[in-house]
Parts: sequence; C-alpha cells; structure tokens
Amino acid sequence: MIDNKTFIIAGLLISLLIGTVAVFLASGDPDGLESTALVVSGQKELAGPSPEEGDPEVIGTGSFAYESPMPDYSLGEEMGSTGGIIAIVVGTIITMLIVMGASYAIRLSKNSQ
Amino acid sequence: MHIPDAFIPLPQAAVYWIIALVFLALAIRWARSELNEDKIPLIAVLAAGIFALQSFNLPVSMGTSGHLVGGALAAIVLGSPFAAVFILTLVLIIQGFIFGDGGITVMGANILNMGVIGGFVGYYTFQGLVKVVKNPYLSSAVAAWLACLIPALACAVEMSIAGTFPLVPGLVAMGIYHAIIGVIEGIVTAVIIYVLAMARPDLVDTSVGVASV
Repeated sequence: MIDNKTFIIAGLLISLLIGTVAVFLASGDPDGLESTALVVSGQKELAGPSPEEGDPEVIGTGSFAYESPMPDYSLGEEMGSTGGIIAIVVGTIITMLIVMGASYAIRLSKNSQ
Repeated sequence: MHIPDAFIPLPQAAVYWIIALVFLALAIRWARSELNEDKIPLIAVLAAGIFALQSFNLPVSMGTSGHLVGGALAAIVLGSPFAAVFILTLVLIIQGFIFGDGGITVMGANILNMGVIGGFVGYYTFQGLVKVVKNPYLSSAVAAWLACLIPALACAVEMSIAGTFPLVPGLVAMGIYHAIIGVIEGIVTAVIIYVLAMARPDLVDTSVGVASV
C-alpha cells in the first residue's frame, strides 16, 4: 500500500498524463448537449455527422457574455497543442490545489470551534 | 453536458443557483464531518482526475463525442452524494471561469445536473445494486451509466422550460446521445474504482471494499 504523499503525486501525474494525451486524441465532435442543440435547430440529423461549421449556441437567446482567459482549454490558435497542454496542466494543478485548499480550510474551521 | 450562458434566461438560471447553493451548503457540512488527513488526498486526486478526464472527449458515433462527468465516481468512492456535489462544484467553477466550459449564470444548473443529480443517482443506484449483485464494479458501472443519462434528461427538461429546446425532440436526442456517452461513464468509473481499491483499499468507501472481498 502506498502512503498519502505517493498517492497524491501518482494521482496528479496520472491526471496530467491523461490530460496531455487528451490534447492530441480528444474528439473534436460536439458533445451530447451541443449535438442536441444542432439537431433541434435543424443543423444536424439525429444520427448523422455534425456539420463542420455548425454553431450549437445559435439557438440560445441569452445575452450574458463572459470572456475566459483560456477558452476551450487552449491559448489560441498560434499556440496550438503546446497551448492546449499548458491549459490542461494549469487546470489540473489548480483543481487539485483548490480542492485540497478548500478541504483543509473546512477542516481548520471545524477544529477552531 | 455543460450548459452555456445563452441557453437559460437569467431568472431561471437564478433559481438553479439557489437550489445548487442549498446542496453546496450541505456538501460543505458533509466535508466538515467526513474529511480527514487520509480523505483529503483522495478527494484532491479525484478532483484532478475528473478535471483531466472531462477534457478527454471520446467519439461516440452520430457526430457526437462525450467524456466522463465523474459524479457517480466521486459519490461511490467517498461514500456520499455530497462528495460529488463538493468536487463537481469546484471543478465547474474552474472550468467556467478559467476555460469558458459551461456558463457563469447557468453554473447553478450545471452543478444541479452533474453534481447533485449525478451524485445522488450514482450513489443510490450503486448502494441498491451492490447489495443485490454483490459485485462493486458491475454495480458502479451501471450506477455511473444512469448518473450520465438521468442528468442529461433533467438538462433536456431545463432546456425545454428555458424555451431553448422543444421538450420531446430534446429529450430524445439528449437521451440517445447520453445513453451512449454513459457507456464511457460506466467503464471509466468501474476501472478507476478498481485501481483505487487496489492502490488504497483503506481509502475507498467500505461499501466498495467489503463487497469486493
């Protein structure tokens, strides 16, 4: 059995490996919700291929817009897959740190009572 | 099934936020009583793994792709649906604010679908099944499949209330796509639970450990 420190490091490395492989191998097809949006907006047949230039969000009516720093897990076209790897690595590490930080903070708040 | 901002009008999005915050408060209460020095590494690794796996879209035919969501995984391994709410909320906040994956105003709906509904469906399906079939991996695979399908149907209903999708075509398309995407959810969940139970049998919930003996 491995100790906590080894477990965290191994878990993080495996997660980073999965994320890095995903940059190269992940499918570019729309996800289930986007495909449904394409179907109900008449851009796609239920079982047919997705259109190259389809826009699932055309069906939305909301006007709220937010510009994220790394949209679509990338740093823009010119950074290519390097940007994709950076985005995934940053995201995976931030996720681990935030969840760990929140967990310790909640634990501390309990102990201080 | 990350809903973008444009898909739900603000007043409805606010209602989903309120529901999500109630469950988030309960999840924090769960974390206060359950998280200890050994569980914190597990929840941190699960969160990192779920983030990475959510970026890995696999083709599922019909011009569509899908990835693990992880609600059932978190709930089964940590032994509570609130573990799923806790992890998925933080993952969705990071995805929404940093990567533009899932909207900001609609984040409550995404937390409700993937964290709350996914977590509860996954947890209780697993707990019910594992007592009957005595196999934690088969039980977790089926639970995870349902924990992908049911939130997708809930999402279709929300889209219908929002006026974004018509109800029946939305339910049909969301149901068909996520019945297939759920197979990924089922297989990946069972494999990860197997690996975790091998690496740290003391960390996974006793319902997984005891049943596998």
